[in-house]
Amino acid sequence: MNVLLCSINTLKRLYDISAVEVGQHFYWQIGSFQVHAQVLITSWVVIALLLVSAILIIRNLQTIPAFGQNFFEYVLEFIRDVSKTQIGEEYGPWVPFIGTLFLFIFVSNWSGALLPWKIIQLPHGELAAPTNDINTTVALALLTSIAYFYAGLSKKGLAYFNKYIQPTPILLPINILEDFTKPLSLSFRLFGNILADELVVVVLVSLVPLVVPIPVMFLGLFTSGIQALIFATLAAAYIGESMEGHH
Amino acid sequence: MANMIMASTKPLVPVCTSSRSPTPKLPILQISLPKAPTLKLKLPISKPQMLSLLGGIAPLVLARPSLAEEFEKAALFDFNLTLPIIMVEFLLLMVALDKIWFTPLGKFMDERDAAIREKLSSVKDTSEEVKQLEEKANAVMAAARAEIAAALNTMKKETQAEVEQKIAEGRKKVEAELQEALSSLENQKEETIKSLDSQIAALSQEIVNKVLPTA
Repeated sequence: MNVLLCSINTLKRLYDISAVEVGQHFYWQIGSFQVHAQVLITSWVVIALLLVSAILIIRNLQTIPAFGQNFFEYVLEFIRDVSKTQIGEEYGPWVPFIGTLFLFIFVSNWSGALLPWKIIQLPHGELAAPTNDINTTVALALLTSIAYFYAGLSKKGLAYFNKYIQPTPILLPINILEDFTKPLSLSFRLFGNILADELVVVVLVSLVPLVVPIPVMFLGLFTSGIQALIFATLAAAYIGESMEGHH
Repeated sequence: MANMIMASTKPLVPVCTSSRSPTPKLPILQISLPKAPTLKLKLPISKPQMLSLLGGIAPLVLARPSLAEEFEKAALFDFNLTLPIIMVEFLLLMVALDKIWFTPLGKFMDERDAAIREKLSSVKDTSEEVKQLEEKANAVMAAARAEIAAALNTMKKETQAEVEQKIAEGRKKVEAELQEALSSLENQKEETIKSLDSQIAALSQEIVNKVLPTA
């Protein structure tokens, strides 16, 4: 019992050290609404990073690409490849959406792991990857939902809704449910992974500040990349699914 | 795990070791109790038998009303205006990236691909050109060879003619000399015959004189 008390005490201290910032937000008031300022600030940084690097590289294109241009071409080809595999031949118009999803999530995740946000002190809460806020992930997931509905409707018109009774009308409720589970799973997968990853690193750092957290940090980088890829791939797959003909 | 936690939280250690009890384990526990009086009060609520590590976390949260107040606004699932703002930001980013990255770079890459393909096909065309050039070269070589052969032939003929001419000249010369030699030989022969004739007369006179005594 006493052992337990002691460990509870230490756990409490741990809680003070590490978990204090979970769910803490730095609020800005806009009219009668509140926003999570830390998310907006980091997302601006991420967006600025993407735009500035793109402008710098794309400004002077060369036939034989230098290092930077080579990298950007590789990324674009990667995005095109993902879109093409998932959507099919008509992937062209969807490249910007899929590409921006992938790049925004990827750079956000890695910024959370690599940029020293903690140097900048906020009055409340702390700066972290934009993707560890549920607002961001839900926003992206809802956009994905809108995108695949738009894709289906623009391709087939109202016949798109035939898919709800597709194999048999008995599956109607499940098919409708799918439209809710898709954005839900997309947003929670990303949110949970990034938040959990940052928490694990924080807790490990608070326990053993040296060496031990490094593998977990690398694992975090890996997870971040994978999550970005999964989100983009699934979004493309949903779009492709709603565009393809019925079986 | 518990050991790690205890080892990592330094402030606990001096408190724990300052106890007077004999066993090393007990003092830690006794000291830790007064440090968290609220814990002590709340703990009886949860039955000691049920206190597993997982169960222990529940009273921990309950034990700190001040913390709970602090976390009044703390929420993981706190939806507000951030969501639509992020949506708008994302859409703007999409348009901007499309304008400055995807479209121009994609167009550039496609054009380069097309240019490379064109060049490759044109390379295939030049292979025919190469063939023509080769044929031309062969023709030139054949012409040159024919020319050389002709030149050789003419030279051979010329030299032969020259040689024949020289041979004929030599022959003529030799024949002329032979003729001369023969004619001179004839002359000498006639001369000797003439001289022999005169000698024959003298000799026959002598023979007659000897045979026919001078009677």
